[in-house]
Amino acid sequence: MKTLLFLLLTLFCYSLFAQSTISGKVIDQQGTPIMGANVYLSGTYDGTATNENGLFTFETTTTGTQTLIASSISFETYSNTDDIANFSSITIKLKDDVNTLDAVTVNAGTFNAGDNAKVTALKPLDIVTTAGALGDFVGALQTLPGTSNVAEDGRLFVRGGDAEETQIFVDGMRVFTPYSPSANNIPARGRLSPFLFKGITFSTGGYSAEYGQALSSVLLLNSINEPQEEKTEISIMTVGFGLGNTKKWKKSSLSINTSYINLAPYQKLYPDNNEWHKPIESVGGEAVYRYKFNNDGLLKVYGAYSSANFDLTQEDINEVDGIRFGLKNRNLYINTSYQDFLEKDWSIATGVSFANDRSEIKYSDADITDVENSAHLKIAFKKFFSSRYKLNFGAEYFATNFTENYLDTNFENDFELDNNILSSFIETDVFFSKKFATKIGIRGEYSELLQEFTISPRLSLAYKAGTNSQFSLAYGEFFQNPKNDYLKYSSDFIAENTTHYIANYQYVKNKQIFRAEAYYKNYGDLVKYDTPFALPTSTYNNEGSGYAKGLDIFWRDNKSIKNTEYWMSYSYLDTERDYQNYPTSATPDFASKHNASLVVKRWVEDWKSQVGFSYNYASGRTYTDPNKGGFLTEQAKSFNSLNVNYAYLISPQKILYLSVSNVLGTKNVNGYQYADQTNMDGIFDRRTITPAADRFFFIGFFWTISDNKNDNQLDNL
Amino acid sequence: MKSVLLIATFIFTLSISAQTPYEKGMNDAFALWEQQKNTEAVQLFERIASAETDNWLPAYYAGLIEIVSSFGLKDEALLTSKLTRAKGFLDNASAISKDNPEIMISYALLNTAYIAFDGAKYGMTLSGENIAIYQKAQAIAPNNPRVLLGKTEWDMGTAKFFGKSIAPYCEDIERAIILFNEEEQTIPYYPYSGLERANEISSNCKKETSPN
Repeated sequence: MKTLLFLLLTLFCYSLFAQSTISGKVIDQQGTPIMGANVYLSGTYDGTATNENGLFTFETTTTGTQTLIASSISFETYSNTDDIANFSSITIKLKDDVNTLDAVTVNAGTFNAGDNAKVTALKPLDIVTTAGALGDFVGALQTLPGTSNVAEDGRLFVRGGDAEETQIFVDGMRVFTPYSPSANNIPARGRLSPFLFKGITFSTGGYSAEYGQALSSVLLLNSINEPQEEKTEISIMTVGFGLGNTKKWKKSSLSINTSYINLAPYQKLYPDNNEWHKPIESVGGEAVYRYKFNNDGLLKVYGAYSSANFDLTQEDINEVDGIRFGLKNRNLYINTSYQDFLEKDWSIATGVSFANDRSEIKYSDADITDVENSAHLKIAFKKFFSSRYKLNFGAEYFATNFTENYLDTNFENDFELDNNILSSFIETDVFFSKKFATKIGIRGEYSELLQEFTISPRLSLAYKAGTNSQFSLAYGEFFQNPKNDYLKYSSDFIAENTTHYIANYQYVKNKQIFRAEAYYKNYGDLVKYDTPFALPTSTYNNEGSGYAKGLDIFWRDNKSIKNTEYWMSYSYLDTERDYQNYPTSATPDFASKHNASLVVKRWVEDWKSQVGFSYNYASGRTYTDPNKGGFLTEQAKSFNSLNVNYAYLISPQKILYLSVSNVLGTKNVNGYQYADQTNMDGIFDRRTITPAADRFFFIGFFWTISDNKNDNQLDNL
Repeated sequence: MKSVLLIATFIFTLSISAQTPYEKGMNDAFALWEQQKNTEAVQLFERIASAETDNWLPAYYAGLIEIVSSFGLKDEALLTSKLTRAKGFLDNASAISKDNPEIMISYALLNTAYIAFDGAKYGMTLSGENIAIYQKAQAIAPNNPRVLLGKTEWDMGTAKFFGKSIAPYCEDIERAIILFNEEEQTIPYYPYSGLERANEISSNCKKETSPN
């Protein structure tokens, strides 16, 4: 009995203290030993770190099946469940973590702004504090390479494409009328307020198969998921005032912004070269409601309503009294999106956007009423197989109904069109390693109006050549239905198309970014017609074509000069097209060969102020001089503008903001208008089209009222 | 039989008087941290966390060390790697202990590490987040001295930035010191620290606000 007990006890003790040795080596994918990796048995205290040769060895008293974990910073964590006996002299190969900042990114053609991106060309504050941008997010993007300065238009012109070749999306849903309407030669402004967004992706070409109906460019805006606090915001400006309020509840929040803009007092003080009968007046309101479901699902409903009107007479060389132009516009936009994470690493994003836009235009003696109703429905799924392999696919439907009534003294006509498009896409993201990644996608679209099916393949590759540098390539086919301006008269068209080829080099080091991108774009099937303007009686065809090629360079430095950040952009563009009513292939009048900008911001601690300036240069654009013959063969004077801004933080909650565009008052030329008939000497007279005013002043006072005394509207400017 | 009993008793007593593996692990980890062996300390806390699945402290400390050691880094890739890892640890800790003010203010510290690296890039979104964190933490634990200290330091930073007097915040620091002294330290390894820091700020307060 005694011996038995003793034996049992010894056995028990033995098994209690039995030790096995776990040992091996941790290496990376190239076979290089990893030092300092943490190797341990999950759920136990047994483990160690690897030495400089990647070797480890430790004792354990556990037995049977265990899970061995190896983790190290910037590698994916390794885990292996097996019998402990198999954990001696084991070789563990750790995979690079492709989600780290130093991993390759597929980015040809794309700029990111906001803090959600690995490499940010523009920071959140830049969107609103860039001199000359005047709180319009489009203004800040125009300091990036690839854009052309078209001062009298205000919209985005990308790489030889016109403004309608760029589409804007909010939370994946299309924005149908992103710009407020404006008169000829007065720049349009974006309707969306910049402070609603936390991330902006601006693609100047070669973008994802998820987006279509854009020949040149897409601008993707992501709205804020959750506001940080309740507050009331008041702004008083030289051009009007605004009022905003944010309320938060446990799971939901509501933000409302209203604004009233009236340029009458400003135009009294600083008359411009237009004769205003009714200066621009607009009333607008937006509201965002967000609801968070228990299961991580997020619903966002954004609604905006605005109405604007103005009436003016503009100079015209063929009309002694000028041409009268009046406009009343109202616009309603609703964007509802829902995203959720599903089981097994699936996620879903779906939404509906709807726009109703009504414009009553008075042009000379004609009255034109345009009504556009558009809707976008979308559903997309994402499957996250691993951090190295993702699949994204979905379907969407665009519906547009457009009606126009044209009435003048001797003519009345109604036009209507339905332009509906069904499309679907599938795309995959593959990381072969931390250095090499690709995105491959394909998009199919069917247009009910044109009864045409198109297929657009897209491909991007990126290769990290060194610690700080990477090369990327992109190729894609892009289709877009002809503009409503033509579709309202004829539907005997096929979609216009482009092919993009892009090569990109990027160097990023310690708050410095250098980027150079070369591209070639080939346009096909562009719409042509045979009259001075697109008319119901014109003969239309799809035989137009064109090309654009160029080089975009970007440099940003946030570190060399203390408290100062600056960036420089340069774009070289060589483009010609034969479209619309062009008699021959020519460089369009919106494209300038050289575009450059420099933006500098400095924070002056002692003054509690941010001072900034920006300088924009664009080489002269083309025009036709009937006295010389030829078509778009002449070149106008170059464009120069120096803008300054100054933001003074009176207290954390009160800000005074001053801004002057074109402070030097440089006399810029937007183009020339020639008389229809020659004068007595047999010469066509011309009128120089200059900006409505050389300078623009803006003074605003912004006041935030919240529980928290530190919040301000700096992000609102 | 007698000797068997003796041995059995001996083993039993041994296991009582000896440290539990948890205590040994935590003591070793703190020792490593004290010796500035941050990586080793994080690794040990990570291993303890894997064994103590219902205790938030080891994961909390693993995260905290990653955050503290990322201040002053110049390489953004390394900074984000470390802070992403830290966030993972804090997420694990708060999954075990929900609405824990100590973990909440560590998230604020994590945000501060990003803001300290590049204010223009991260300041706009993260400073608002921090304010919200401190407000929530204060509502949950109005008498937690570390929450009060963290919030006051944050407010002082803002006041200094705007050239405002920090004097009103010095009262909060004094109140934090009282709270630190009143705090009953009952949970082993709980992060009770912070009094020294509060005293340090308090003495700066006295220097800056006292009339010369």
